[in-house]
Formats: sequence, structure tokens, C-alpha cells
Amino acid sequence: MKPVYPVLLLLFFVLTCFSGAAQQTEKTVSGTFDKLPFEQFARQLEAQTSLRFYFESGAVDSLFVTLRVQNQPVRTVLEQALQNTPFRFAIDDENRVFITSGVSISPRLPTEFYQPQSTSAVAGRVAEEEPLPTENTGRSRYVSAAEYQVYEIGGPGSGGGRATLAGHVRDLKSGEPAIGASIYTESPNVGTTTDQFGSYSLTLPVGRYDLKVRGLGLKNTKRQVVLRSDGKLDIDVEEDIIPLKEVIIEAEKDKNVSGMQMGLEKLDIKTMRQVPTAFGETDILRVVLTLPGVKSVGEGSTGLNVRGGSTDQNLILFNDATIYNPSHLFGFFSAFNPDVLQSVELYKSAIPAKYGGRLSSVLDITTREGNKKKFSGSGGIGPLTSRLTLEGPLVKDKSAFIVSGRASYSDWILRQLKDNNFSQSAASFYDLTAYISHEFNDKNALYATAYQSTDRFRLAGDTTYRYQNQTASLKWRHTFNNKFYGVLTGAYSHYDYGIKSDMNEATASDLTYRINQNSLRADFNYYPNSQHTIEFGGSSLLYNIAPGSFLPRGEASLIVPVVLAREQALESALYASDRYDITPRLSLAVGLRYSFFQALGPRDVYRYAPGEARTLATLTDTVRYAAGKVIANYHGPEYRMSARYSLSDNSSVKASYNRTRQYIHQLSNTASVSPADVWKLSDTNIRPQVGDQYSVGYYRNFKNNTIEASVETYYKSLRDFVDYKSGATLVLNPHIETDIVNAEGKAYGVEVFVKKLTGKLNGWISYTYSRSLVRVNAGTPADMINGGSYYPSNFDKPHDMTLVGNYRFSRRFSTSMNFTYSTGRPITLPLAEYYVANSKRLFYSDRNAYRVPDYLRLDLAVNIEGSHKVKKLAHSSWTVGVYNLTGRRNPYSIYFKSVNGQIKGYKLSVFGQPIPTVTYNFKF
Amino acid sequence: MTLSTLSIRLAWLWCLAMALPGCIDPYEPEAISSPPSYLVVDGFINTNGPTTIKLSRTYAIGSGTAKRPPAEGNATVTIESEAGPITRLQEGPVGTYTSPYLTLTPGRTYRLVVETQMGQYASEYVAAKTTPRIDSLPWQVQSTGVGIFINSHDDAGATQYYRWAFEETWEIIPPFQPVLEYKDGSLQRISVRYPTICWGNDLSSAIQISKTTALSKDVVANFPIRFLPILSPLLNERYSILVKQYALSKAEYEYWELLRKNTESIGSLFDPQPSQLTGNVRSLTNPGDLVLGFVGVQSETSQRIFISRAELPANWTNGTGYESCIPPDTVDTEFTSLAQAFGGGRLLPINQVPSGKKGAARFSASTLGCIDCRTRGTDVKPSFW
Repeated sequence: MKPVYPVLLLLFFVLTCFSGAAQQTEKTVSGTFDKLPFEQFARQLEAQTSLRFYFESGAVDSLFVTLRVQNQPVRTVLEQALQNTPFRFAIDDENRVFITSGVSISPRLPTEFYQPQSTSAVAGRVAEEEPLPTENTGRSRYVSAAEYQVYEIGGPGSGGGRATLAGHVRDLKSGEPAIGASIYTESPNVGTTTDQFGSYSLTLPVGRYDLKVRGLGLKNTKRQVVLRSDGKLDIDVEEDIIPLKEVIIEAEKDKNVSGMQMGLEKLDIKTMRQVPTAFGETDILRVVLTLPGVKSVGEGSTGLNVRGGSTDQNLILFNDATIYNPSHLFGFFSAFNPDVLQSVELYKSAIPAKYGGRLSSVLDITTREGNKKKFSGSGGIGPLTSRLTLEGPLVKDKSAFIVSGRASYSDWILRQLKDNNFSQSAASFYDLTAYISHEFNDKNALYATAYQSTDRFRLAGDTTYRYQNQTASLKWRHTFNNKFYGVLTGAYSHYDYGIKSDMNEATASDLTYRINQNSLRADFNYYPNSQHTIEFGGSSLLYNIAPGSFLPRGEASLIVPVVLAREQALESALYASDRYDITPRLSLAVGLRYSFFQALGPRDVYRYAPGEARTLATLTDTVRYAAGKVIANYHGPEYRMSARYSLSDNSSVKASYNRTRQYIHQLSNTASVSPADVWKLSDTNIRPQVGDQYSVGYYRNFKNNTIEASVETYYKSLRDFVDYKSGATLVLNPHIETDIVNAEGKAYGVEVFVKKLTGKLNGWISYTYSRSLVRVNAGTPADMINGGSYYPSNFDKPHDMTLVGNYRFSRRFSTSMNFTYSTGRPITLPLAEYYVANSKRLFYSDRNAYRVPDYLRLDLAVNIEGSHKVKKLAHSSWTVGVYNLTGRRNPYSIYFKSVNGQIKGYKLSVFGQPIPTVTYNFKF
Repeated sequence: MTLSTLSIRLAWLWCLAMALPGCIDPYEPEAISSPPSYLVVDGFINTNGPTTIKLSRTYAIGSGTAKRPPAEGNATVTIESEAGPITRLQEGPVGTYTSPYLTLTPGRTYRLVVETQMGQYASEYVAAKTTPRIDSLPWQVQSTGVGIFINSHDDAGATQYYRWAFEETWEIIPPFQPVLEYKDGSLQRISVRYPTICWGNDLSSAIQISKTTALSKDVVANFPIRFLPILSPLLNERYSILVKQYALSKAEYEYWELLRKNTESIGSLFDPQPSQLTGNVRSLTNPGDLVLGFVGVQSETSQRIFISRAELPANWTNGTGYESCIPPDTVDTEFTSLAQAFGGGRLLPINQVPSGKKGAARFSASTLGCIDCRTRGTDVKPSFW
């Protein structure tokens, strides 16, 4: 469509010079044309009217006109003449007729074109377009063409008012949706971002716009649109082959300041890949741990503590299905294969109303959709694991699949070791992810995910541990119209573990635990106009837990089978929220979620004497509930509110309040997450947990939005979360409520975050001061911990600083650095020795009264990429890194042991040495 | 294996798998100053025999190598039933209080009352439990040593919670028999010979408990009670173990279990939190004054077995415990005077050995620890030997 550009350019210049619109006179023409070449036809019309025709003669030399008309308006004549041809026409106010092929152009300016504030923008736009040929280099022909094409949306006729434009933004090559891409016009300043399906909806006054598109790892592009009425525009964008950081900033450009969300951390896989890890493999949970407000108890655990919440208070969603154990190998790896991931979002406060069920945070992990255009693959070989991903179209441009697997060969390594303890040990894991997306038509799309992760380990040959996660989700997206779409999601989550012991025949046993969760949810998004974004929906979740079975193995086993009664419950919720942009400076998001929980029979429920500590001695009655009968009923509102006020173009303040309720509790008697932890549903004796969080933040961007800074402060109170009496039995306990006490907690802190994601040097630095305190002040004095006063929780680490930095020497060499410092975690220390039963014993301090030494670690990695020829059989890269460069022996654990009657303290450091790694990654 | 040891093993696994040296360092926290001094009650009320109670106090961690804790003397210790005092215990060695032989009624409840200068303390009333006898103590030759196991049962199913302690005794044969002694500046024929055999003795320090509540019968089958590695000096000649069994109440079992968790495996990430464990003794005068210890009420049953070197595989290498003593030192008068060599008492002469040079004398010599087996045991033959 080259001929059009000069015409368009000319058009802009001419139109900006002429002010005031000339009257358009509707001329009529007559004549008989028989296979007349178009050029001659045009001359004849020019003769009859004052119109002047503009076209490229070469383009129309194959166009002949056969027509008989009598005093017909010019428009009608032209419409007839060009009917069934690729040619379109446009007539401007100066009586000029433009003939174009394929697209029609609008000779009219947008309605708001001459409003004072927009004139400078127009001038700027024109100036921008002058150096056309240079900007054009490296762009694909298609995109270049699309950028200069003018899209007419909707039929003519609808005079004024507003219209809604909707559609999808997709990757040109792979057809995958571009998630979180911004689409905006600069005059008026209206914009939106694409959702997880890459779809967007933008309501604008009718008129002509330059729509700019910016996105993570995307080349910037734009579309010229004439919006007449509601319509659809799909935008294909090009991937930025070398993910220059500039692209990423533009995506988040001023989101920090102008976005509604607070307490939201969003990471894309490219950012995550830059953070060095212990085993050379990108680990999303490790990266999430570098964010402010996120902590973990120890080095080898992936349990996250978000803003003083415990590890079970995080809703971890993998393509909408809940994951119960997000780690492999006791937490040394996270259970998500980096190759299939698209992005991770962590909501720490202002949790959207559509999420619920956990108190502290939502970690939403989404996978890529797979390449819709061609078959491709990628993989990596690391010191302990290897992975392979295949993806490609099933129906070109319509559906794609992505299948990815990862497996460890730690088993093989163990067998190579001479030590008996190790050759009898085993430790292996794998995970598999499969994802299919299919687009039936513009209105309907289907997405299916299946996920499985399995771990198995045996240490020194006596007991075998095994656990697995399985999830599946099916999502149907239906677009009702440009302003309204809905998503129906069905998800299945399963987690189970087993501990098998067969060393002693008499006590050989199998211990198993299982949780199944089926859920159905409907979510709707409605954009009535550019000021409101309304979301509403509902969900229902059915839990089915087999809380434990302990069965004998083999004939000789004397183990009495114990099978605890199953637990069932239904958790449902309805929600609605509205984001209201009151003025360009002030926005408000108000949401309400109302959740219901019903524990269901069949089950025997124990009743205890009211007002007394629950023990077997106070057990008064056992009530049997039939199948489907409601045992306990809980419900309550969850408020979700946030507000933003822009102080200036580059600074804003935000505030939020949210309440969350949680009906499922992880029972863990240990400081960190272990695979044998049990999840327990609320019932008559165990109340749901409730949390409230207030937060206020100040956000400011510097240097053209290239540096983002924020300060957030929060106060959080937690009620009725579970803590345990000393020496509680959590596994296979039929009356677990006697071992549980209700605890209350409070947490508060300040998080400072500065991020620079542009330039050769980029990265982020975060500092958090926070406290997390627990109090157990119920029951008898014996149940109280530390006499019923507040004490630091296991993950109370007041000072926490992280620096993640990358320096790019060239497109092929870059280095990354990660520096972490935090106060040591609290521990309970022995205070005195005493002598009982022929050995020294220890007398302990109050719970968590002391701390382990501070934690300090520095990691370094170098990325070397292969040549960047776009056309190559396979692209490869090497990552060479050193984890814990200084070799500081950070205590993973401190323990005291009685050795030969002497009490000795020990400090165990898992990564007490610099750990070098080499990983090879490829992509074809 | 519990999760506790698991995590440590796992961490070790990483350390070794990655060929990393030493992941575990000793750690002595500085935070521990001005330790509390609480009363500690150690012992149980024996329902069928004399009761021995030891009173002591807590003391600072790592305060020297004092084998014995500060004993609490001059206390009044009484066994009481709900009907009133039964007997008062007499103090023998400081802090050790012993009752006469008592026979208490099973099922009735008893408690211990202690009165010191600081106040009055009492254990909770505990129902007397009768301990079943030990069925057998089989031992087994394994690839790396000898395992000793215990079998017991209670047909009535009333025991369920068991605790064991043991006392072991072994023969010690010193490698040298000196014929000389250094006396008055010269070497003379020894006047009083050193013993040629001693008996070492030790008490178990590990807490060994088991419960049979998960089993369909109240049976303890082959519970491992002791493991002796091949090179253990205890197996060198003749070894004997006396295993004592105690039936516990559920509360006492839980106490011992917590005590074990607190002191024998604690603090790793997958372990339960250590807890402030006191026991079943409380102060009657000041509730803030803590007392440590659990006074159970039960009988004690025991069984003894012997294992001789001859019963063990002949190809096992003996561990004498005297490996570092051999060969003995030599003292040559060519290089040193007798007074220099033996005057300090660090070295003791053993015998004269042939000298390479005329006019010089050479003697074999060793330290007291290598010569006198009483440094490792007693030379009084135990009554059961």
C-alpha cells in the first residue's frame, strides 16, 4: 500500500494548514460507461463536477468501469463503480476524491481534532512520522503496512457520541496473546491494557485516533483508527527478539504511578531469568522472594510469608488451579517449569474481589499459550535437572499447544557416591505441563491446562516419601459484545503424599494423605464506559479430603489400620467490584466479596464442654452427620477497597483496605513447609481465619518513567489462625482440635522499592522493615505460649534488603547480581542445662525470644547468548553462575544435640560454600 | 525415621552431593547469660522397691566440664498418697534421697513432695502402674556391629507406653603390666602391681521410649536398644547390659517424648519447635518458680545379658580402646636422665628393653591412662560377673 503514504502525509499537511471546513456540495453525474478504464472514468467525472481525483494510475490500470447512471449523486456512482473491487474511495471537504486499494481512508479529522489541547499532539505526531524510512528498518513488511493503514471501525452514520473498540493483541509470529500490553491514545489520554487473553476494550468518542501499543517484550507499534461506531480490531504485534529493557519500561511505563493497584508485584519470565539461582535454573519462587514484603523461613524452603502471613495464607494459582505444594525436593526447587511460564503476579494488598480463600496473598502464575504459527521448542540442561518444551499450532492461528517436561537426575548422582548412606538414598522429581488454547471464533475461545508434579525420595534406605500435585483446568471465554465478556472456569486440584516404611516387618506401614478440590467459577468483565470497569462473578469450590490413612504393609505387620473419616466442604463466593475513574486524577475501586462455607457430612463431630480448653477430658458428645448434611456454616463479607490520587504526572498516593477469609488451614508443626503437612478444613471446632489489611503508599517515577519508586506501609491483623500446643500430634489425629489453639497475629511494616528496568544497568532494590507478631491468649494457662503475650513469629525478620542488578555489556554478554541481607529469624534458645535421666538436658527460653545470625548472600551470573541471527536452526545460551559467592555460612538451621552427654550447639548451612553452576539453554 | 533427622540428612546429602566440605559448624550462642536456677527433680516413685530421687538445679550452658550439676541438699522429700504421707526419703550423698523398700498399690495415686529453703514443691498425683517383665534381649551380629533389641508384651494391654534405660559393664584389659616403678629417684621393682583387669561401667543417656497404641496387641517387638560398632572397646573381652523397663502413663510418655525432641534432635527446619518443658512438678508457694522433672509412679523390671568376644565373628578387628598406647614410649638414659623422664609423673616405666649402646639403659614407658585401667573403670569385680 505504498502509494497511500504520500497521499496521507500530504493530507495531514494540507489539513493542518487549512482551518475551517468547506461546505461539501453533493454533485450529481450522468453517463453510460462500458468497460471504460478507470482513469478515463475519473476524467469524465472530473469534467461533470468540481471533484478532483487522486490515485496511482499504475494501481488502477486493470480496473474497468461498466455503469449506466442518470443524475445520481457522485457517492452512489462511485460506490457502484467500485463495487466488488478491492478499491475504496473517500471524498474530503475540498472535493478531492482519494482512491485506495484494500482500505478506505478517512479524509475527515476526528471530532476532537481541533480542540486546543490536541493541536500540539497532532503536530508532534506529524513530526514523528517524518523520518519514516529509518524507523521502518527491521520491521516486518506486514506491521509497517498495518501501522500506516487507516482502519475504519464501524459503519458510517452514527454521528457523535462514544463507541467501544475491542479486540485482541497477539504476537505476529506465534499468535500468542500479548498479556498486559497497553493500548492508548495520547489525545485524549485514554488507555487500557490487555487482559490474560490478550483482549482489550476501549471506549472513546467517535473520531480518529492513533492507537499506540506497548507491551512486555513487544516492539512498539500503533494503529490508525477511525472509530465510527462499536467495532473490533485485532492487532498483531512483533516480538522484540532481543528483549531490550526499554520495552519493559514502556509496558509498565507509568503503571507504578497511574495504576490502580497497590501491593501488586508483576514479573515476567524475562526478568525472572536474570536472577541467579543455586542450581542454575530459573526459579519463580526464588525471584518472588526478592520482592519487598515476601520472606521465607530458611534457605531451602519455598514457603512464602507475605507481609507477616503464614505459609498457608497464599493462594497459589497455576492457570486458575490451586497448587498445594509449590516445591520440589523439600523446597530446593519450585514446582514450576520456567519454560512454560508467561508471568507471575503477586497481590500483597488490595487483593481483587475475584480472588479469595486465603488471607495474605495471591500468587497468580500463568503459562504461555504456545506458538500459533509454527512448531518450535526449547530446553535446558542444568547440573541437577533438564527440561524440554515443545509448542506449535494445532490449527494455524486458531489453536496452539505447549507441552513441557522437567526431570531431575539427582538419583543418578546419588548412586555415584561411594558412601553407603547415599547410594541407598534416592531423590527424584519431575513435572509436566500441557496447555492447549483454541479460538473457535471471535467470540469464543477455550483454554485447557494439565499439570502434574511428583517427588519421591528415600534417605538412607528406610522410609520412602512421595508427594504429588495434579491439576487440570478448562476455561471458556465468551465475548458477548465489545463491552462485556465472561469467562467460565472449571478446575481440579489434587495433592497427596505417602510415607512408606518397610524396615521393620512388624511396623511396616503406609501413611497417606489426599486432598481433592473441584471448582467452578464464572467471571464477568463489563466496561460500560471509559470511567467504569465492572467485574462480577461467583465461584463454588468442593473440597474432599482424606485426612490420613495408616495401613500395615505385608503380612507380618502388626500395624492397626487407621483411616480417618473424610472431610467435605463447599466454599462459595459472590463478588462484584467497580473501578471508577472519577477524574483523571482520582480513581476508586470498590469491591465486595461475600463468601460462604459449609462443612458437609458424613462425619462424626466431637462436642466439647463450652468455655473449657478442648481436651479429650472435656469431650462431651459425638454427633453423627449424614452424607450431605451441613455440619458447620460460616459466611461473611470481604471488603476490597482502594483509591488512587495523582499528585502530578509522575507521582501519586494510593490507599487500600481489604478483608480476607480463609476456610482451610495448613497444620504444620515445623518452622517451614514440609511435605507431610496436613490441610484441614474449618468445622464446628475450627473457625475460619479472618484478616484485615490497611495500606497506604506513595509512588513516584523519575527520569521519564525509567525509574520507579514506591513506599508502601501496611498494618495487618489476623484472627483465628491456627497454632499448636507443645508436642501436638498433627498427623493421624482424629480429634485434632484438642491440639490446636487459636492464635491472633499482627503485622506491620514499610516497604521501599526502587526499580530501574531500562538501560545497560537495570534491576531493583528493595528494603523492608516489618514485624510479625503472634499471640496465643486463649484456653488454659498451660495452652498459652509465652504467658499469653505477643511474640515474634517464625518469619519475623525486621530488616530485609535485596538488590537485583543486571549489567548488559553487549547484546550477547550480560551479568546479573543478587544481593540479599536480612535479620536472622527468631529461634527459641536453650537457657540453662540440667541433669535428668543420666544426661544433660536443656531448658528453653520463651518461644522465639532470640535470633539466628543475620543472613547475607551474594550471587553472580553471566549470560552468554549465541549469535543473534534471526534465521538460525537453534538459538542457544549459556548461563554460568556462582551462588553464594562470598561463601558465607548462613545458618539454615541451628540445633542443639546431646552428644555423649554433652550439649552442643550446631549451625547447619546448606549452601555454605560458593556453588558454581553451568546451564545450557536452547530454543528452536 | 522422623522428619527431624530427615531434614538434617537431606541437608547433608546436598553438602556431600555437591562435594562441599563441612556444612555443619559448632555454634555457641552468646545470648545465654545469667541462667535461671530452677529446681530439678530426677527420679520416679518405685512401687516395688526403694525410691531414689536426685535433686539438683539448672546451671549455665557449657559451664565447664562439670560432670555433676549443683546438687540440692538438705531438702525434705516425702512420698504421699492422697490419704497422706507414706514415707520420708533419707539423704545419702548430697542431693540424693532414698526411701526404704516400698510396696505401693497399683491403681492408687501417689505424689512426691519436696521442701527446700526456697519453697515447697509437689508433683501431680499419678496412678501407680505395674511394669511388665522383659521377655528377652536378643542380640544380632550385623554388618557393622552388634545390635541389641528388646522384646516385651502386656497381655492385659495396660502398659502401651514404655521407657527403657540401661547400664552396661565391660571388661578392660590394660595392654601393659609394669614390673618397675620410679620411686625415690630410681627405678625399682614394683611393689603394688596395677590391676590386670577392670570393669568399665556406663549409664544410658539417650531417651528410649516406644508406644504400642498403633498396634493391635500391646507388644514391643525387637525394639533396638543399643548398637555397638565393630571397633567398640566394649566388645573387646566380655560385655554385659542390664536393661531396665518402665511402664509410663500417657502424660509421662509425652513428657519424655518432648524431652527427647528438645534435647536430642531439635532446631532444624522440619522439627517441631522446642518448647519450654517443665514436667509434672509445681511450686506450691510461688507459681512463677518453675520446677523441672516428671515424677512417675511405676515399678521397674530388668534383665541382663552377656556377650563374649568369642561369640562374635572371629574376623572382626578388636577395638581395645588402647590403640593410641601402642607401641609404648622408650626412655633412653643416653639422651635423658631418669628424673627428667619419670620425675614429673607423666610417664610411668614399664620394663627394661635391650639398649643399642653400652653403658646406656633403655626402658619402655607409658602414661597412667594406658597403664592403670582404673582410670577407665573399677578393679572391683561386679557381683553379677
